[in-house]
Amino acid sequence: MRPKFLKKLAEMEHKKMIMYPLIVFVVALLILAVKPPTLGIDLAGGVVVTAQGVSTNPDEVAKYVSDKLGIEVRVESFTSLAGGGINVYAPAGSSPEDIISVLKEKFPDAKYAQSEVQPTFGEMAQKQGIKAISYAFLGMAIVVFLFFRVLVPSFTVIFSAISDMIIAVALMSLVGIELSQATIAALLMLIGYSVDSNILLTTKLLKKKEDTIKEAYFSAVSTGFTMSTTTLGALASLWLISTAPVIDQIAVVLVFGLLADFMNTWVLNAGVLKWYLSRGEKQ
Amino acid sequence: MKWKNLLLNWRVLLLLIFVIGSFASIIAYGLTFGLDISGGTAITVRLEKPVDQNTMDKVVTSLTNRINRLGIADVKVEPWGDQYIIVKVANVSEDTVRGIKETIEKQGVFYAEFEGEIFATGEDIVQVFEYRIEPSTYRWHVPFQISQKAAERFAQLALNKPGYPVDMFLDPPVNSLLLVSQETYNVMKDEFNAQAPQAMSLPERIKKAFNIDTVVYANQSIDEIVDLAKDKDLVVLIGVNGNLKDELESRGVRVRVIERGKDETTYDLITKALGLYGPYSVGEGLTHGQAATNVEITGSSSNPYLAQQEASIISVVLASGSLPIKVYVEGTQYISAELGRDFKNQVLIAGIAALLVVGAVVYAHYRKLRIAIPVVSTSLSEVIIILGVAALIKWNLDLPSIAGIIAAIGTGVDQQIVITDELLGSQRKERITKRSGVLKRMGRAFFVILASATTTVVAMSFLFKFFVGGLRGFAFTTILGVLIGISITRPAYAEIAKMLLSEKKR
Repeated sequence: MRPKFLKKLAEMEHKKMIMYPLIVFVVALLILAVKPPTLGIDLAGGVVVTAQGVSTNPDEVAKYVSDKLGIEVRVESFTSLAGGGINVYAPAGSSPEDIISVLKEKFPDAKYAQSEVQPTFGEMAQKQGIKAISYAFLGMAIVVFLFFRVLVPSFTVIFSAISDMIIAVALMSLVGIELSQATIAALLMLIGYSVDSNILLTTKLLKKKEDTIKEAYFSAVSTGFTMSTTTLGALASLWLISTAPVIDQIAVVLVFGLLADFMNTWVLNAGVLKWYLSRGEKQ
Repeated sequence: MKWKNLLLNWRVLLLLIFVIGSFASIIAYGLTFGLDISGGTAITVRLEKPVDQNTMDKVVTSLTNRINRLGIADVKVEPWGDQYIIVKVANVSEDTVRGIKETIEKQGVFYAEFEGEIFATGEDIVQVFEYRIEPSTYRWHVPFQISQKAAERFAQLALNKPGYPVDMFLDPPVNSLLLVSQETYNVMKDEFNAQAPQAMSLPERIKKAFNIDTVVYANQSIDEIVDLAKDKDLVVLIGVNGNLKDELESRGVRVRVIERGKDETTYDLITKALGLYGPYSVGEGLTHGQAATNVEITGSSSNPYLAQQEASIISVVLASGSLPIKVYVEGTQYISAELGRDFKNQVLIAGIAALLVVGAVVYAHYRKLRIAIPVVSTSLSEVIIILGVAALIKWNLDLPSIAGIIAAIGTGVDQQIVITDELLGSQRKERITKRSGVLKRMGRAFFVILASATTTVVAMSFLFKFFVGGLRGFAFTTILGVLIGISITRPAYAEIAKMLLSEKKR
């Protein structure tokens, strides 16, 4: 199966191939500058109570809880295949046990979960997250250089990984997914996925001496397309079926990242490599 | 048929051995599931500062004791690095969780004081007896025995002072500055003297015993307050406007705000702020110099349930002694058992669905069942091996761990596709001599696989190393999956695919 757009991609001019993804990258940066993603309670501190199996007007619940306990709460409802529910967010220091007891008066049959994090702990988790991401990046960059030992292709692979993460975070902020421990893990996982496809492309183009660049690209992009669709399919089924927030968030962020990665690998990185190889031929 | 050859291939054989071994391991050891799947409560506890192994062990033992004494079975207290402890409790009610949190946070430093003299501390507690609750008034009593030495010290202090106040403290704010309203101050001065107006007042007693200064807040400037708190560890705001807190904290002063609960009297507010039980009036019989070792702490609560909870916490804390370091509850996670069960089922269904979707997509791309079926079954065996290893080392499978398994499967499938495409590509190109072509292409496929596996492992090991949180599970299973992938499942898949794809050509 060879979708037409892959053929189109193979024939695209390398200048355009480099420019479009860069524009997307800059737009993502702008989005982040205007509206950075909100921090989840495991990073910022706070209380969240989940009641599953409840379908109701969130504003009414917010008013009800606020009246009963005298604290400001924010209520969001969610739906999934397994039935809907609400998340009640309260500031750090409020008692999740109290919130559950008042909710139980109203919804005795709901299933409850709660999570409470002090701001100090959240701060520590933030620091750890930043540390983990920066070291992971450094490690990745070193491994990529060691494997290729050529400056431009290695740098492009690393840039694609950065761009994947930035675009994924920008999309998170747009659809209102919080930056949490789970989503940080997903972002780190993106490094792995991104390097996967980029290394595939780079290897094929740099080491495949028997084919023309176009043929080599075409064979790589069709493999890459198969890879991405299987992973996207698996993640989509995960997202559709599971209602556990950790799993949902990881799945959605990986989907965002993979979409970004598709562009960054097969358009941006391919464009750079085409340019790089054609320059080499001229010399 | 080449089936026999395939079975005898050592790579395929290795895969089979691992799959069978993993089944055996899962059956023999069983899988352990995390709290977020099995339901229960996890409480994150932070120690005031990082401690050595010895102190950590003490805190862990002491916390385990305390929670066990509350009558809760199935408690796990696990250290997490050198500054955090996770307390895991299976299914209990929200109220019990509240009780556990309070019990943990009480450092449990006990003082008994008379006229500003400390005559007994936690070390003098010999034995704690069964608590009792008066059924009509909800007044509770926790009787305990103090050492002979402490009793004698008290007998001397209390000589000829009938009706004088005796105070017992649990975790008082030692060396602090109390900032109180005029009304609170008056109550402290007048209502804490038991039957002896001539005795030292409460502010005098706590000043002498614990170096606690009591100051009436009358809109002093921040500078003045900072100056007053110069050598103090803590400023306690009792019934005073909370805005002060932020301003003082911005000046680097540690602040604790004591807020008035519903229907709480000023008297209650003061006892709460000081961790004070009492004052008890010294009976006539104790003022003639003879030592009495049996004493008690009492208090009253608004309902029998609370009375029982409070009494049990006090008796547990008195009995277990003080913690070597102050601890704070940093967070709790609670998931009901039903919700956990739902999550587990969903993940199971989602996993199966994901495998089927992968199979369907692979089939749609290649139109060959002989590719789709090996891809799916290799991935399935990868899951089984990961679970087998997890069972063997008793890894706690929580939701992030399961997400990690799925992520590993995702990269696994990707790599199988790389292998397949290289093999198919070599078939299409007739001009390349077959044998060397396959080898060369396999080499290239494994170069890509090795490079991406290395980066994933490197990236994830940092997550594993730096996160104390639940995400270590995610990192762990991802790394495990990738390692199993490059060493066992991918080579076996390559052999299987080679055979199945070349068979077709015959």
